[in-house]
Amino acid sequence: MLLADRSFDAIVIGGGHNGLVAAAYFAKAGRRVILLEASEVLGGALATGEISPDYRISTAAHLVEAMPRRIEKDLKLARHGLRFAQRQMTTIALARDKRHLTMSSRRQDLVALRQWSAQDAAAYVAFTARMKAYAGLLRPMLGAAPPVSGETSDAASVFRKLVWNARRLGKASFEDLLRVLPESIGDLADENFEMPLLKAALAFEAVRGTAEGPFSPGTSFNFIYREAMRHETAGISLPQGGLGGFVEALARAAESLGVIVRTSAPVKRITVENGVATGVETEAGELLLAPAILSNVDPSDTMLRLVGPAHLDARLASRLGRTGRRGATAKLNLALDGLPTIPGLAPSEYGARLLAVPSLQELDAAFASFKRDELPFEPPMEMTIPSVVDRTLAPLGHHVMSILIQYVPSDVKGGWAGQRDRFLDRVLETLSTYAPDIRDRIIAGEMLLPSDIEAKFGLPGGDWHHGELRADQFAMFRPAPALARYRTPLKGLYLCGAGSHPGGGISGMPGRLAAELALSEGRRA
Amino acid sequence: MSGDDDMQPVEEELLEEPAGETRAEDMPAADEAPMENPVEESPSGETSPGEHPPFANPDLDLLDAIAEIDPALFERKAEEPPFGRQVLTTALHLAAAAESRTNLWTQWNGFTTPDILTDIEDEYRALRHAAALSDISPLVKYRISGRDAAVYLNRLVADNVLALSVDEAMPVAFCEDHGLVVGDGLLFRLDENEYRLATEETHLAWLQDSAFGFQVRVEDLGTTLAALSVQGPLSASVLAASGLRDIETLRPYAARWFDIAGMPVYASRTGMSGDLGYELWIDPEDAPMIWVRLLDKGAPFGLAVTGFALRELARVEAGIPRAGRDYLGAFSAVDPADASTPFELGLASIVDLEAGHFTGRDALQRARARPPRHFIVSLAVDFPEPLDFRAIQCNGAVEGLATSTGFSRELGVNLAIARLKAPAVASGAVLTVDVERREGFSLRRLIVPARVLTEPALTMPSRHVVPAPLLSIG
Repeated sequence: MLLADRSFDAIVIGGGHNGLVAAAYFAKAGRRVILLEASEVLGGALATGEISPDYRISTAAHLVEAMPRRIEKDLKLARHGLRFAQRQMTTIALARDKRHLTMSSRRQDLVALRQWSAQDAAAYVAFTARMKAYAGLLRPMLGAAPPVSGETSDAASVFRKLVWNARRLGKASFEDLLRVLPESIGDLADENFEMPLLKAALAFEAVRGTAEGPFSPGTSFNFIYREAMRHETAGISLPQGGLGGFVEALARAAESLGVIVRTSAPVKRITVENGVATGVETEAGELLLAPAILSNVDPSDTMLRLVGPAHLDARLASRLGRTGRRGATAKLNLALDGLPTIPGLAPSEYGARLLAVPSLQELDAAFASFKRDELPFEPPMEMTIPSVVDRTLAPLGHHVMSILIQYVPSDVKGGWAGQRDRFLDRVLETLSTYAPDIRDRIIAGEMLLPSDIEAKFGLPGGDWHHGELRADQFAMFRPAPALARYRTPLKGLYLCGAGSHPGGGISGMPGRLAAELALSEGRRA
Repeated sequence: MSGDDDMQPVEEELLEEPAGETRAEDMPAADEAPMENPVEESPSGETSPGEHPPFANPDLDLLDAIAEIDPALFERKAEEPPFGRQVLTTALHLAAAAESRTNLWTQWNGFTTPDILTDIEDEYRALRHAAALSDISPLVKYRISGRDAAVYLNRLVADNVLALSVDEAMPVAFCEDHGLVVGDGLLFRLDENEYRLATEETHLAWLQDSAFGFQVRVEDLGTTLAALSVQGPLSASVLAASGLRDIETLRPYAARWFDIAGMPVYASRTGMSGDLGYELWIDPEDAPMIWVRLLDKGAPFGLAVTGFALRELARVEAGIPRAGRDYLGAFSAVDPADASTPFELGLASIVDLEAGHFTGRDALQRARARPPRHFIVSLAVDFPEPLDFRAIQCNGAVEGLATSTGFSRELGVNLAIARLKAPAVASGAVLTVDVERREGFSLRRLIVPARVLTEPALTMPSRHVVPAPLLSIG
């Protein structure tokens, strides 16, 4: 191969959605970009697979929540085949007594809520408005690269600005915010509402996908953070053809912009010369060169495995080595020979996002089991039946159901080998309390435990977010102060995955912001 | 079967013999004593050390200076709780104690160390004109070994370690991520994959933290390795006379294995005196014997035993800052402004920014472009008598602090290692120290000029001579 064929303007390692977005933005600027993906398919944890022939479903992640409209437009994703089966999905908290609760401030939903608890209906409106206002403070920070690196004392100026903006909410709100931020979402929900189901559903939104409990301090911040992430988007959306369809559109957009995409091309290491990342060596032994290398791989994995501790300062390396990833989510995909009956749910509501979290106490009990590496008795769940709105996923009259199970330990006491079936039985038992005929409807199914997710998608610890979305890993502290702003100590190496600001959830923002930073630095050099 | 037969008579012996002995010596109530604990008594009838007060050993000659301290006093007891012992002693404690004419002791790294053994003037004269022997076992020593030892150390320290060959030593400084010095020391390469690091302060946590991702083993040799220092113009002669053959051929910073009467000695031509000198790295069990032999063979050359005070004075003369006293390690300094970069410590010569990555390199590259915030310098205060001073003034304002001071009898000048704010050094401004001098019952305030030394106050040319000068005594 000629040397010219091996040198590029940029190399993107990992073809997850952030990698694809980063590569596309680079190519859009007229640069020669190659994207290397280790597995056979692009998309990472965004994939559509077949449970059994003709029954297709999003294998891992199942909803797009945080992708800003701007990226869709910039990359002309609609032109490349992105269709949404549903946008602005409603969320319904399922109740054991069949009085399900629609989580929205729409007039008719509030009327229903008021009949149930007038106090909560009023509190819900006030609470949502308050959280929106707080989220509004974070929003400017989420749309841009963190203003300074966490290493410098200028981080203080960022907080000063946040505080300044917060004061404009008024003295009472400001004081309330200072109290709310370090509070747990459980306590916050408890003091605002009286309905157990409403409290639990709100708490679940804050802790979903994390290894934290509803009463873990600081989880209120998670709630506000996620609220802010959603703000730029058109709500929760369900792409046509599952998330695989979403990735296909993204890949087509990238390729049409000129990105060279190579799958089954695992990277062995990033080559470093005198503190500068010069290129990558693939497992096949090929050397590729580029002045900019963007890694969509987990930050710790990138720095410790691909770069190696010898090229890093000792404290950074040992710190990265110590921060273990703790995935807490498992996925169950079911093929059904008909729509399961959920008593109390209107026919039009089967396409909604359904939560099975009866109360704060039960959510906390599940977390306590998780903490002790035990199986939760009634695991909290988030479910969708995407085939209700997307007919391409299952044969006519049949359905697929996608279930995220929260608080599943990655190393369960006694090992997973003997307990997989027991756990599946518990999940189905819990499901049966809401949909009594679910067991009779199942034709086929697959369950991915955190360890399966780690192995299948290269996500260390099975953590979907490449690190918790917490206040101590926010903005200039994400993923570590020395690695904030997408930069690494190695010149030419950038982190463009969910481990960087603004973080996980399918946003594409780390990819876009990392690419923009790398482009601007390339121009200056 | 035969085993059972053997066992029985032995048990009977154990029960009977001590019983008989106690009956003969003790009061009638002692009848029950053997019943409580028969097996612990020694079968041969010898008395165990626990039974007698430590000084009652009839073999001890109370007039013999060396023998009068019972080693049992310093033996560790098995049931000692962790960290229960507040005061540690080195393997040479008894040997040094026997030489002490002053009973002046101090603490060095938690070890009881003689401060002055005979007389500071005598010790100083020996150091500068003959040879001085001292116990430097309280130094912190680490053994670093394993497949990645060389790359690990190259990432740890600021200099190029890969250039160090076997049986050589180099001074090293190591920084944390922000380029602030954690500590400094002397690094020896003992073998292809085996190194030894001798430092002033303990750094085990940092060494292990840095080991993340490397195939390397870090061991603390605190109590398993003893060290002696022989410094002075006649040090080579003393060692040669003691049986270290061809010691004079050793180059500065080189090291080699020798043996003294069958005891292995790893000797290096290193030291803190600014003069010819050697350090011997030895087994703690051999240490007292080697100490005695050196004193024996060194006596004709005027070898003197010396303490920590002399080491400090020699160090000030040679202009070597000590961690924990003249500068704070990055992890000891609460305020990062108190910690220093190697450039501020005057260690720029052992920083190699071009030879591969090390911890703090990026930060040091940036730091090199910035003016240093402060300097650690050698300072001379010209006054013919020892002075006591701390604050260093520049144009009337306190701009620095003398952290180690001493009066050089050789040069007739007061010396200090001082930490000065950058402007006080850069401008070449006039520096002074305020001194309160007591004369009888009157007090005089003096303002004495001070000057920054650009090179160590005292360096002996023989320091670099190879082969080292030998004096033969017929």
